[in-house]
Amino acid sequence: MNELMEAPTVPQEETRQEEGLKHRLIGTSVPRTEDERLLRGDGRFTDDVQFAHQLEMAVGRCPFPHARILSIDVSRALELEGVKHILTGEQVREQSEPLSVLRPVPGAPQLPYYALAQEKATYEGQPVVSVVATSRALAEDAIELIEIEYEPLPHVSDAIEALKKDAPILHPQSLESNLLASNSDRAGEPEAQIEEAPVVLRGQMRIGRVTPLPMEPRGVVAVWRPGARELSVYSSTQVPHLVRKQLAEALRIGEECIRVSASDVGGGFGQKLGIYPEDVLASLHATALRRPVKWIEDRMEHFRAATHGRESIHDYCLAADAEGRFLAMTNTYTTDIGGWNSSFGSSQLSSVVFTGPYRVADAAVERRVAMTNKTPVGAYRGYGQPEVNFALEVLVDRLARQLDKDPLELREMNMLRPEDLPWTVPSGAVYDSGDYIKTLHMAAESVDYAAHRAKHREPRADGRIVGIGLASFVERTGYASARFLAKRGSKFGAHESLTLRANRSGGIDLYTGVSSIGQSSETAFAQICAEVLGVDFDMVRVHTGDTASSPLNTGSFASRTLIAAAGALREAALAFRDKTLRIGAWALGIAPEEALIEGREVRHRDDAGKRVPLSDVFSRAIIGQGIPHDETPGLETTAHFEPPSAAFSFGTAAAVVAVDPETGEFEVERFVMVHDCGVVVNPMIVEGQVRGALVQGLGAALGEELRYDAVTGQLLSGSMLDYAVPRAADVPPIELLHTEVPSPVTTFGVRGVGEVGTIPPGAAIANALCDALSDYGVEFSALPITPESVWRALNAAKKGEVA
Amino acid sequence: MTLNENEITLTINGESMRAWAPSRMHAADFLRQRLGYTGTHVGCEQGVCGMCTVMVDGQAVKSCLMLAAQLDGAEVRTVESLAEGENLSALQQSFKRHHGLQCGFCTPGFLMLASSLAARGETMSREQIRDEISGVLCRCTGYEGIVRAVEEYLQLQQPKGSHPQQAEEASR
Repeated sequence: MNELMEAPTVPQEETRQEEGLKHRLIGTSVPRTEDERLLRGDGRFTDDVQFAHQLEMAVGRCPFPHARILSIDVSRALELEGVKHILTGEQVREQSEPLSVLRPVPGAPQLPYYALAQEKATYEGQPVVSVVATSRALAEDAIELIEIEYEPLPHVSDAIEALKKDAPILHPQSLESNLLASNSDRAGEPEAQIEEAPVVLRGQMRIGRVTPLPMEPRGVVAVWRPGARELSVYSSTQVPHLVRKQLAEALRIGEECIRVSASDVGGGFGQKLGIYPEDVLASLHATALRRPVKWIEDRMEHFRAATHGRESIHDYCLAADAEGRFLAMTNTYTTDIGGWNSSFGSSQLSSVVFTGPYRVADAAVERRVAMTNKTPVGAYRGYGQPEVNFALEVLVDRLARQLDKDPLELREMNMLRPEDLPWTVPSGAVYDSGDYIKTLHMAAESVDYAAHRAKHREPRADGRIVGIGLASFVERTGYASARFLAKRGSKFGAHESLTLRANRSGGIDLYTGVSSIGQSSETAFAQICAEVLGVDFDMVRVHTGDTASSPLNTGSFASRTLIAAAGALREAALAFRDKTLRIGAWALGIAPEEALIEGREVRHRDDAGKRVPLSDVFSRAIIGQGIPHDETPGLETTAHFEPPSAAFSFGTAAAVVAVDPETGEFEVERFVMVHDCGVVVNPMIVEGQVRGALVQGLGAALGEELRYDAVTGQLLSGSMLDYAVPRAADVPPIELLHTEVPSPVTTFGVRGVGEVGTIPPGAAIANALCDALSDYGVEFSALPITPESVWRALNAAKKGEVA
Repeated sequence: MTLNENEITLTINGESMRAWAPSRMHAADFLRQRLGYTGTHVGCEQGVCGMCTVMVDGQAVKSCLMLAAQLDGAEVRTVESLAEGENLSALQQSFKRHHGLQCGFCTPGFLMLASSLAARGETMSREQIRDEISGVLCRCTGYEGIVRAVEEYLQLQQPKGSHPQQAEEASR
């Protein structure tokens, strides 16, 4: 512990029916309840929602990175048969408010981001006009007939350039420069330490711009019933209740007039957090036309109009003593947020985990958010943590080489020990618990690290040289608390809420505002609920993502769903269990303490002959007949739960890479991931989450990149053909190992697991390449790393430069 | 807008059908919007992502790259044809057992692709399977569960004793 503090904890007991009993369902790979419908093609994705008399919307977008809109002439488009309604910026300003931000950059002004561009568009793909017609094809025809006169303006695509004095300013009415805001966190006296330290290493590291790219693009269907004043919105979103709030604000109507329904959602990964212009537009059209309006994003639009992720430049400074003990660390980094502030802005967690798993008391971080003429950046799986992990872990290896130390020993020397935890980092976040070094050792052993270190890096018979790289990490999962979020101006809570409701068939309906995005919450929630209640797993039916039926919750992002929902599930299920036992015991003529829920019935603990089906108990409760006189009818419990603190996952990855020193061609031959997500609820699901995120991390490390032309500012890799998303044949062999240190700050000791795999691939692979090419003195400072960049680094090294 | 519409007669999942489609409508939109087979998904309309993979005359095809009119006279199979009444097919069960799906959006594409692989009557190594299924993308699973599921399913399709592993076991 680096300061005197008591770690917040939550009750861990009473989760099992009888003490000493092992968990029945928690920790088992229960097959997923989501699968049945999805395997039959019977999911209900947004485009599967069809209404009679439904119309379709298409959006005309700015083709320039930065342009003034001089005029819009829609007259020819309106003449096209089948065209029903057209909106331009002027009408949108009259009829709606700018899109609100859910997680503002602290200190940033609110920018007037309207659903359609006003005088200016600040990114290629920004909506300028929207058309509703009897079919999507006709709506697109109409857009071709709309004449828009643009005056292209000077643009800036690079975040560092954007912050220079002579850069064109994107939002002069709100900002004096392209710096949206900056914030810093610090502890101790890092500058003084750096001044006096025997070894100081500096490095600038660039992380490329990528896209989350869920397989289902975004989509919305809006249906307005004027008499009822009810807007039903079917949306592909991770946060139905937050979409409801944002839409109410944008449309100037009360939340009570809006119902948002989301499920199934074909992947989110942070991109489907909050509203986009198209959600407002479809709602405005539907309201005006009094007919259902559907908009389904096509993939070309997706690349330009759905938020991007990651892009940032980190200037690190690492100070150490002659042995390699870290004395101080600073990171000044710039994130590129693009042309407008999206719902979740650009990543904020680099500032939380920039010191990694290391014991550094003197550290400072400064985050600068730059506006550029590119698609807005939003949340993407990891939210700043993969970025900072690449920067820091590559520098740790660089320091090891400079000091002629083993990178593993350097990590070992500086890593926080279990007894150091809880540990407060400069941002004020508290690493709760864990055994970081154990994961380092496990990763090293699994790739036979010691034997590899002892050998010289000779080329194999195939001419390639093998290297091993390590990357260790600590990952924030969940949120510290609503109070913590309030300080940052966030417009959402840190809790999850859900309702359990008995039904007369003997089952339990579980209502949650969490939508099904592939994270398997339906299965995990049912597991925990059934575990606490003692009922069979299939007795619990989970209803997801509908604001009309679920209590107001937060949503599925930030690896937070289960962290918060586990507590709500436990509380709701315990209250539900107690009432079930009271009524069941009454029916059996025994005391509640003598009763037990098992499978599909309530029975006497010691006398199996005394039993009553749950359908009977629930029916009694629902109709109020045959229940104790002092019992109220009904059997429904709702719980809201906010964890007292964030839980921090951790681990180490090891990459084994073979590289051809002539061509730069390389192959990841093995990738080992050792991770800890606390108590595992469903091992199969955890494996799936880690593997899936790892492949996204590998994609971003090895090839995915949204490149913009330096001169024209146009997106160059804006289609599936140009953007190198990993295919099955591209994935290297991945091995998973895990430790299980329960978190003291969450119910059941769980930690989040949805994002972790995105974090270490970049650094592990860069370090492996540097290890393999150690005779050449190669360094890497940017992601992605491709055979071309390896070849360039080799050439640079030969000339004595750092690439 | 019947002006540019074509009449299309086809067999879909064993059922004969006749429907109209605009000349420019692609086959995936036709299956979804005109015939109601919404299990076939649309992901890129560029023939890259494979969400729209269906079987046409026994071949796996990306239906976004076909015009609806090209389905005239064809025999089409979609994901809706796989389950046997209340029960999932062996292929679907393999996907469930191996956690071969998360959000489920790509799943119909992989299932139809795997069905066409099975029709070849061969077993394949995991390496071969990875190559064969690379025309359908998945952003959730990292593919491992899909590869395992397809491998198991292809083995199940072999007559008993003909798979090398089984033959080896039998000879012990």
